[in-house]
Amino acid sequence: MLETLCYEEKDALLQNSHPAAVMLFLAVLFFQALLFAHPLYLMGIFIIIILAVVVSGAYEKCEPYLAMSLWVAVLLVIVNTLFVHTGQTVIWRSPVLPVLGRLDISLEAICYGAVMGVRFLIVLLAFALYNAVVHPDKIMSVFSRFAFKSALVLSLSTRMLPAVARDLTNVMEVQQMRGVQFGTGNLRERLRKYSWLLEVILISSLEGSLQIAEAMQARAFGSGPRSRYQRFPVRPRDGIIGLASILSVTLAVYAKARGFADYVYYPQLGTLAGNFPALVWPGLIALALLPVVLMGWGWRHCLSWRSKI
Amino acid sequence: MSLMEIQNLTYYYPDSPKPAMKNIDFTLDEGEFILVAGSSGSGKSSLARVLAGLIPDFYGGRLIGRVFFNGSELRDAERRLLCSSVGIVFQDPEKQLVMTSVEAEIAFGLENLGLPQDEMFRRISEVMSFLGLSPLQQEFTANLSGGQKQKVALAAVLAMQPRLLILDEPTSQLDPMAAEEFLNLVERLNKELGYTVLLIEQRLERCFHLADRLLVMERGEIVCDAPAAEAARWQVAHAHGFIPPVARLFALLDCGAIPLTVKDGRRELKRMLPASTYSAAQPAANKIPQRQAPREKLSQNPAVLEARDLWFTYPNGREALKGINCSIGRGDFAVILGENAAGKTTFLKQAAGLLKPGRGSVAVVGKDTRAASLPDLVRHIGYLSQNPNDYLFQDTVEEELRFTLDNLGIYDHGVIENVLTQLGLSAVRGVNPRDLSGGERQRVALASVLVANPELLLLDEPTRGIDYLLKAELGVLLQRLNRQGMTIVMVTHDVEFAAEYASRVILMFDGRIASDGTARQVLENSLFYSPQAARLFRGFADDVLTVRDGIEVVGKIIRTGGELVNASKPK
Repeated sequence: MLETLCYEEKDALLQNSHPAAVMLFLAVLFFQALLFAHPLYLMGIFIIIILAVVVSGAYEKCEPYLAMSLWVAVLLVIVNTLFVHTGQTVIWRSPVLPVLGRLDISLEAICYGAVMGVRFLIVLLAFALYNAVVHPDKIMSVFSRFAFKSALVLSLSTRMLPAVARDLTNVMEVQQMRGVQFGTGNLRERLRKYSWLLEVILISSLEGSLQIAEAMQARAFGSGPRSRYQRFPVRPRDGIIGLASILSVTLAVYAKARGFADYVYYPQLGTLAGNFPALVWPGLIALALLPVVLMGWGWRHCLSWRSKI
Repeated sequence: MSLMEIQNLTYYYPDSPKPAMKNIDFTLDEGEFILVAGSSGSGKSSLARVLAGLIPDFYGGRLIGRVFFNGSELRDAERRLLCSSVGIVFQDPEKQLVMTSVEAEIAFGLENLGLPQDEMFRRISEVMSFLGLSPLQQEFTANLSGGQKQKVALAAVLAMQPRLLILDEPTSQLDPMAAEEFLNLVERLNKELGYTVLLIEQRLERCFHLADRLLVMERGEIVCDAPAAEAARWQVAHAHGFIPPVARLFALLDCGAIPLTVKDGRRELKRMLPASTYSAAQPAANKIPQRQAPREKLSQNPAVLEARDLWFTYPNGREALKGINCSIGRGDFAVILGENAAGKTTFLKQAAGLLKPGRGSVAVVGKDTRAASLPDLVRHIGYLSQNPNDYLFQDTVEEELRFTLDNLGIYDHGVIENVLTQLGLSAVRGVNPRDLSGGERQRVALASVLVANPELLLLDEPTRGIDYLLKAELGVLLQRLNRQGMTIVMVTHDVEFAAEYASRVILMFDGRIASDGTARQVLENSLFYSPQAARLFRGFADDVLTVRDGIEVVGKIIRTGGELVNASKPK
């Protein structure tokens, strides 16, 4: 299960772009999902993120999230139906139930639940796609430009984690061979036995940290102002991804500020496309992000594009 | 002018009344390759730290005397300049990498020096190409093998373009193949690129011949500083043992020239011995196999550990054991040799009951490991894992031993006292085990296993990274326990150790047993898993495994005027 969610090299455009640009793209999708409650706007973003998942070859990795958010959508519909009784378009009225009384299932509640499900799905997909296309190490190196020390601590712990996990198995085996029975005793005794494991790991890690500090000192850490090594080249594709993201988010903020994206569910569903801008803006916002998807498609299907972007 | 010079240096670690180094006088010239040997705690690492400027900068403490780098005193040197002029690679590859990817790791030191991007890129690309790391450029460092990690650590130091490269037991945590590869790189750096190298190393047989000078350290002092051959002669005269078998043999024979490699050694032997003693060097393994079953000579005692058609596949799908049939009798001292991932450790864990057979069966003292519970098995089995630190967490050595007894519900009938005495730990019984040296820690871990008085003792690479003195101590201790009736099964890469102490050798390859018999049968018949002395005497005499054997054979041949070709050495 865990392996299926982790990064895997798939030769996708987003995996071969500058991590900062990819992060910006995903952040914009995430932000817009939170910004909008309007079904049309959300639909536009939803289409873009689904396309991005498909052209990145990350569908398999995102599938569990799809299933999950489907359930969340169903749950939202149920909860809304049960607890929000302000919807006026009642589709079905239940007989009197014990405790709950009479339930009105309104169109508003169903629509609201469904749209919130989509919203939730976009947020989840943004994270899933992030996991699938951004190598954790790359992101660390981007962050180290802003907060070097925090990034270094993060990097050290990421590096140590597999080693600590391995140590833990070894120490557990060793203690079992010294007669510790982890499976027996009451909760308190068991906790005590596990605390022995942690004690060994903790002492060993403390000793290790001193050695690491020494190695860092020997490699001139803290000897003066540092420079930053630029590992990832910047290519036209990064510019396009960045520009598209910025354009899209600017349009989104403008539309929201002007009130084009306002939408009411209760007590009665608002009209979807009452005025002219309401129809155009969601299209524009999604369209701005389309180049990213197009490039992703070309990356796979027109190999000659690769040298251009 | 020498590159580095130390004048009359004495150094105390903080809060230590005893100097870690005293009266050190030492010079290092550009382009030299210096090998430093000495037992643990003799001050080798402290010397390395002084040269790298970590003492006193990182460690504090009190330093008396003067250290010069390139003519100017080290204490005035700017740290940045020093770090870029002297590079140091440490023992444990796990404990010196900081970044998550190979490229970022190599860049780390350069960033610290504040170099511009172009310069960093040039250096990183060059060093990666030279060390063959390009395919690993974006690899997550935690996924690398030990050998690769150590290579990355070397690359990270080389990228800083130091004038002096210090290597503090860089191969102690590596398997022999990775160690060989690493030392070959070091040789190239010295010979082809002219790097000045100071190497601290325990596996002398691989680097003794490379050194221009050998420093032997003892109790914080340099007791010998001479070219390798001369140093070998000096050590033999002064009962030191930091000499690989070939050099030791010729030094003991008091030859005029002391050869340092097997090739030179064989040439020297041919010169020394009558021509008739040499039969066209047919490696023993090429001979028509004798039709004798190797098992015949093994002990016929009842089995303590018996594996029958043992197969095992890990949950990740790796098939680690493929049809192992093996019976280890009471009182055997068996050593399992083999390359990495040959299934040695897996077999040991099967024997310990930590893993259960996939197919087939394992029986320990007559109990089938599938049927018996682990707590039931551990009363009969002692298990020492690779890393002694996995054992130590109590406040004192004595409590560490008591911990095992309490868990097993054994009443202390003076057994703690007895084990402490046997392992020479009585003096440190009240000390926190984490304050002890590496060798002592290992003994405490072993003691915490031995208190339960196991019938079967399983050891996983106990000789890794320890010096020849500790190794000899361990060997003698294990032999003594073995004579007292303990059955010992030990996994190791150390062929010399197996030759010296084991009664039985099992050679594993790819999850199967490739060879199994008495130590002599297996090691003599093996081409590559043969000790240096056996390689040296191939064609002269078949029965040589250790330096002692070699000297006896040479004496015999010389006395009898060359009648002894391939005759067995009298036991």
